[in-house]
Amino acid sequence: MKHLKSLNKKAHLLDGAEDRPEAIEEVVAMQTVVGCTATTDPGWEIDAFGGSTSLCQPMEADLYGCADSCWWPAQVPDTMSHYPDWGDGKADATKDWRKLDGIFEDKI
Amino acid sequence: MTLIRRISTLGAVGLLGAAALLAGCATPAHKVAATDAEYLLTVSRPGLLHVIDMKTDRIARSCEVPGKFGSGALVPSPDGRHAFVLGNLWEDVYGFELETCKLVFSARQSVADVTVKTVQSLAVSADGSELYTVQNPVRRGADRFEVMQPRLAVYRIADGLDAKPVRSFPVKRRITKIAATVGGEVILGGADVEAIDVRSGALRTVSALASWDRGPRWLTPDAFAMHSQGEHLNEYVMPYVTAKFADDKQDMASAEWWWGMSRVDLDTGKAETREIFPFEFVIFSLLADPRDRNILYGAFNTLSKHDIARKQTLKVVELDHTYYSVQISRDASRLYVGGAGSTISIHDSGTLEKIGSIQLPGDMSTADVRVAYKRR
Repeated sequence: MKHLKSLNKKAHLLDGAEDRPEAIEEVVAMQTVVGCTATTDPGWEIDAFGGSTSLCQPMEADLYGCADSCWWPAQVPDTMSHYPDWGDGKADATKDWRKLDGIFEDKI
Repeated sequence: MTLIRRISTLGAVGLLGAAALLAGCATPAHKVAATDAEYLLTVSRPGLLHVIDMKTDRIARSCEVPGKFGSGALVPSPDGRHAFVLGNLWEDVYGFELETCKLVFSARQSVADVTVKTVQSLAVSADGSELYTVQNPVRRGADRFEVMQPRLAVYRIADGLDAKPVRSFPVKRRITKIAATVGGEVILGGADVEAIDVRSGALRTVSALASWDRGPRWLTPDAFAMHSQGEHLNEYVMPYVTAKFADDKQDMASAEWWWGMSRVDLDTGKAETREIFPFEFVIFSLLADPRDRNILYGAFNTLSKHDIARKQTLKVVELDHTYYSVQISRDASRLYVGGAGSTISIHDSGTLEKIGSIQLPGDMSTADVRVAYKRR
């Protein structure tokens, strides 16, 4: 770590927590969903049973179900309010997922 | 064609459309043009209401929904001749004549600087004369957003295109699926299930969920009502998950986990709220078998069959991908599982074996899958 320089607030906290493992938890707790909704359901990677079989499968089947309802606003563009054109010309996510681009804030 | 231009163009036929719709809704049931049609309805991207003939399982016609996609929530009229779709980014409602795709109703809920979103909340009155939505308004200022009081909006369907609410009443937040009772109330699926009188705005609790008081041995239920269904039996079914703890320590690991449901009889407005079978997998929607209301089907990554009288899961089959919604044919022989992706999977209701599928041109996403036929 001595050759690495922390540049942002989270990295500074991680540096400071190096000798205090319990402090790592405080840094992890900073990770909060920021978006157009207060929905913060954990479970994008883990289902209600601690596994993955009860997650939506494949992810593409649920992609617009999340984007259109602003369900996972940090992970999927919010087509309900901010990115209504994101899925234009890509009606079937299972076939068209390669055409779905990322969102770049500097293009807004 | 922009939405505004399209609405303007259609305005000329508005009066005729409204008159035709009014005639269809106000005519006694035995005088309505007899039709034996049984349609499966859903909406897919980029913005099409699909009318699927359930005798052939083929798309009979696809009606273009104005504006952008979202959400695709829909409700058929009680006579089975019309359907109303939530579209244009969860803001507008469009009503179609199913035999012709003719646009006979529209309501743009956002006005000026107030954006109104409706989260799946659509219902038609039992006599087919009124449409209900729950509006969630936000005033968009130059430097801030002002979250405003949600309200139940009442539209007169006979007003046709560019209809405006004729009444509105304040309601709580977090309301998704709604349904109209025969007695003039609208069931509101939210943190609790409530009913609102569509004349006075009076509210009553139908089924306490978030505010239930069973003591420390029961977990507050987690309810989900994006796809509550039951119009084929004139009921409203809202599933929930809860846990029964072994003791007051509330240990999640040793608790009994249960699926439960709030089941509202839309003829009487009365509800039963109870646990129905063990929570062993996720279900997005529940649907009762018209031959035996104790038999329920559930869908998500699996299609399942349950006997709630015995609190047992009878059968489970894996699905090829995630689906949100399940429907049943009028003769109860076939199940239609849809929502999420672009295919509707057809299953034998006895064995749950897959017997067919319907390919749509785009994803259904959050859209409903509904059955339309003459009920009254």
